[in-house]
Amino acid sequence: MSFGLSEVSVRFGATTALDHITFAAPRGSVSAVVGGDGAGKTTLLGCLTGAIEPDSGRVERPAKRLLGVMPSTSGTWRDLTVDENIDFVARAYGITGEDLRAKRGRLVAKAGLDRARDRLARQLSGGMRQKLGFVLALLHGPTLLVLDEPTTGVDPVSRVELWGMISEAAAAGAAVAMATTYLDEAERATTVLVLDSGQALASGTAGEVIGSLPGTISVVDRPADPRRAWRRGRVYHEWHPGGDSTSAQIDSDVDLEDTVIAQMLRRREHAST
Amino acid sequence: MTATAARVVAESAGVTRRFGTFTAVSDVSMRVAEGEIVGLIGANGAGKTTLIRILLGLLAPTAGSVSLFEQIPSRNTRQRLGYVPQSLGLYTDLTVTENLRFTARAFGSSVPAALSDELSAVKDRLVGEIGLGLQRQLAFVAALAHSPELLVLDEPTSGVDPLARSRLWDTIHEQADRGVGVLVTTHYMQEADQCDRLVIMVAGRVAAAGTVSEIIGGRTAVQVDTEAWDEAFHALTEAQLPVLLAGRCVRVPDASVDDVERALARAGVSAHVTAVPSTLEETLITLGRA
Amino acid sequence: MWAMVMKEFQELRRDRRTMAMLIALPLLLLVVFGYAANFNVSSIPTNTYGPQAQKVADGLKDPFDVRTVDPGGSRNDAETAVRDNKVDVAIVSQSSGKPTALIDGSSLFAAQSAVSAFAMSGGQVETDVLYNPELKTSWVMVPALAGLILTFIGVIVTSLGLVRERQEGTLEQLAVMPFRPFDVIGGKIAPYFVFAAVDMVLVTVLGVILFDVPFNGSVVVFALGSLLFLLVLVGLGGLISSLSQNAGQAIQLALFVMLPSIMFSGMIFPLAAMPWTIRWIGYVMPLTYFINIAQGVMLRGAPFTALWLSFLVLAVYAVVVFTAAVLRLRRDLAPNVKAQPRQDVAAKTAVAA
Repeated sequence: MSFGLSEVSVRFGATTALDHITFAAPRGSVSAVVGGDGAGKTTLLGCLTGAIEPDSGRVERPAKRLLGVMPSTSGTWRDLTVDENIDFVARAYGITGEDLRAKRGRLVAKAGLDRARDRLARQLSGGMRQKLGFVLALLHGPTLLVLDEPTTGVDPVSRVELWGMISEAAAAGAAVAMATTYLDEAERATTVLVLDSGQALASGTAGEVIGSLPGTISVVDRPADPRRAWRRGRVYHEWHPGGDSTSAQIDSDVDLEDTVIAQMLRRREHAST
Repeated sequence: MTATAARVVAESAGVTRRFGTFTAVSDVSMRVAEGEIVGLIGANGAGKTTLIRILLGLLAPTAGSVSLFEQIPSRNTRQRLGYVPQSLGLYTDLTVTENLRFTARAFGSSVPAALSDELSAVKDRLVGEIGLGLQRQLAFVAALAHSPELLVLDEPTSGVDPLARSRLWDTIHEQADRGVGVLVTTHYMQEADQCDRLVIMVAGRVAAAGTVSEIIGGRTAVQVDTEAWDEAFHALTEAQLPVLLAGRCVRVPDASVDDVERALARAGVSAHVTAVPSTLEETLITLGRA
Repeated sequence: MWAMVMKEFQELRRDRRTMAMLIALPLLLLVVFGYAANFNVSSIPTNTYGPQAQKVADGLKDPFDVRTVDPGGSRNDAETAVRDNKVDVAIVSQSSGKPTALIDGSSLFAAQSAVSAFAMSGGQVETDVLYNPELKTSWVMVPALAGLILTFIGVIVTSLGLVRERQEGTLEQLAVMPFRPFDVIGGKIAPYFVFAAVDMVLVTVLGVILFDVPFNGSVVVFALGSLLFLLVLVGLGGLISSLSQNAGQAIQLALFVMLPSIMFSGMIFPLAAMPWTIRWIGYVMPLTYFINIAQGVMLRGAPFTALWLSFLVLAVYAVVVFTAAVLRLRRDLAPNVKAQPRQDVAAKTAVAA
């Protein structure tokens, strides 16, 4: 049974936050939604959790008890210790005794928090706090996990550890819907939806999205048209909508970031004409 | 890029900073020369912010010395530096123009005449209402208005879409080309790649420093190609190995081919296992686990 | 420095709550002090009893305001009328001899006015000040202070409770957990209620011990009245926090609510001395009713039947305030079409902090 959005639109006054968006989060996979600030990621996740009622379209979500949420602010209670945070969530969901001890033990060890159990959440580093937030969302065994930018601002090592926990949750059968600004993470997900100002720029598996690149990308030292170029490491990548560039420069190793930027550029150019 | 004669705009020599019994920064020596982009990479809590605050003159080191433009940090050096903190340092209840005027008055400079199209469109809107991407753009403009010789940027692109991020880095490169020294912290690997040099901090110390290729050195990661990537992932996690998934491809930094093959064999997963050059991210993981 | 000045002005211009405080508050205080600050009670409700009741009543001038003339009434009736706060002065007369004026010592300023008026009449009437024979201010203030101290603590502290969840970003979490809005508010408020109750006991006991204030009435009635009053206070705190985005706003709103309480509850300036145009404010403040209960029980030994109106008002207040708080919170926790479109950006950039 798949959760997700089907042709969902959300408007806030004159602004269209989501425009006929379809997003599927099947069980057993990680479904990513990417986009910058204001693209509509949080609104999309809000529809999934039920915090926002769409103006049109349909949403499939599980019962509230089977929903696990991690907001972008980690969702931890800063003045409580790691253990107290877990106790609170366990109590709210009625998880007690042996069951609680087993779950707590396993998740805390996986998150690398076992030596920080008595530390206040606000004393944890950013990465550890995000991991705690993830544990709290996962504690009651939800069938749909909704994560809003779980790794933004987190250091690379913790990011990888978090990713490990996330893909494990999916492998264990949960549906994971994750918003992120990190395209390398999006590439690792099963499916990706690219949002820009409420519109869907591309969706599908990472491979399909990359394949939806309109035109070609060339790798150059000096771009012919700076408005269609951006830096990557020491060189520039330049987008050619019509595929009109000398074949010697074409980048055969196009990745998700190339495609996303090219799609955004195309949309901006269409909008201004 | 400049050669050895480049002027040093910021330097720390053996800087240590203790807070009670906690050592936030330990014997860190690094420098930023004019026209170069130095990336400061590390986990939160590794000491990056403390080091930056010491360099800016906001905090005194317990040991070691710090210089800005070859002087001790003071009110005079503040005039020559531009700083964008993680929280942007903008007033959300003032408009874009009012923010720029405030900064101009404070530094005795003038409000930039030409703003980008996007910023001009919102110049009379409250900063709290214009969205993160534009806020970051504005923070940059404000920091550059008084033509600083050193730019210190703390996570300048966090949370912003890829296109906006690359445009912000265009500005960073422009400034470096003009001779401004840039010290920047980031969690995006792709941005770390764009720096001339990196300084990697782990638990308050410098774990590695140099260009990207120097830091990666000859390190290798183990790549696992298999149809059963799912099971491979589990088998390796069970064996306590750090695993990365790149698409369907499983990579293990910081392990030998033997270790990986053994873990896979134990789980009965057959795969093609090879050693490949590490990426920067994988090197960071290795350094972090050390 | 000029840059800082300009900036502060610009920010201030946009902060409506603070502007209201800076402009409206001094004006309000001026008006209030002008009209309300008055220790002279201009009208003292009076009854006369006994055979000479009518004669006495005819002889009374301002500030006495004769309500009932009861020739058949006895001293008992007179005492009851004063105890139940129906009048501040009840004059009992025999067939011969000087009439005695029973004066309510718990209405301090009225009593002082009455005593001096009788003194100036040249001893035509005997005076007997009940409940507070030495007209001690502390005896009147302590019950009122108990209420005031609790108003401060109860409202400010409770209002910060919910605001913290909002600031930490954990309110969204609570929204998807199996909590009803009532669970959240009740859970947030309960600890403060317990602390406030303990404080109430401490303040009252200390007041009685240190200032020798009597406790003439039923502890049960007092306890009931206190608990009800505390319920209103914590409910108000909850409501304020559901209306505030951060701690600063919560405190501003709490002060806004408490200042009239101090001025208009009758603890500093007697309500009876205020013109009706502003006296009505006092009747809107819960503290006024608590003071009535506290002074009634402690000083006058008044029974529940005499105080039922105050109890009723407090009960209604509690229901209204809690309902409002729950409704407001439900908007934040339940499916919501008009949700905030723009996430708090500070929260996002603070993730890495």
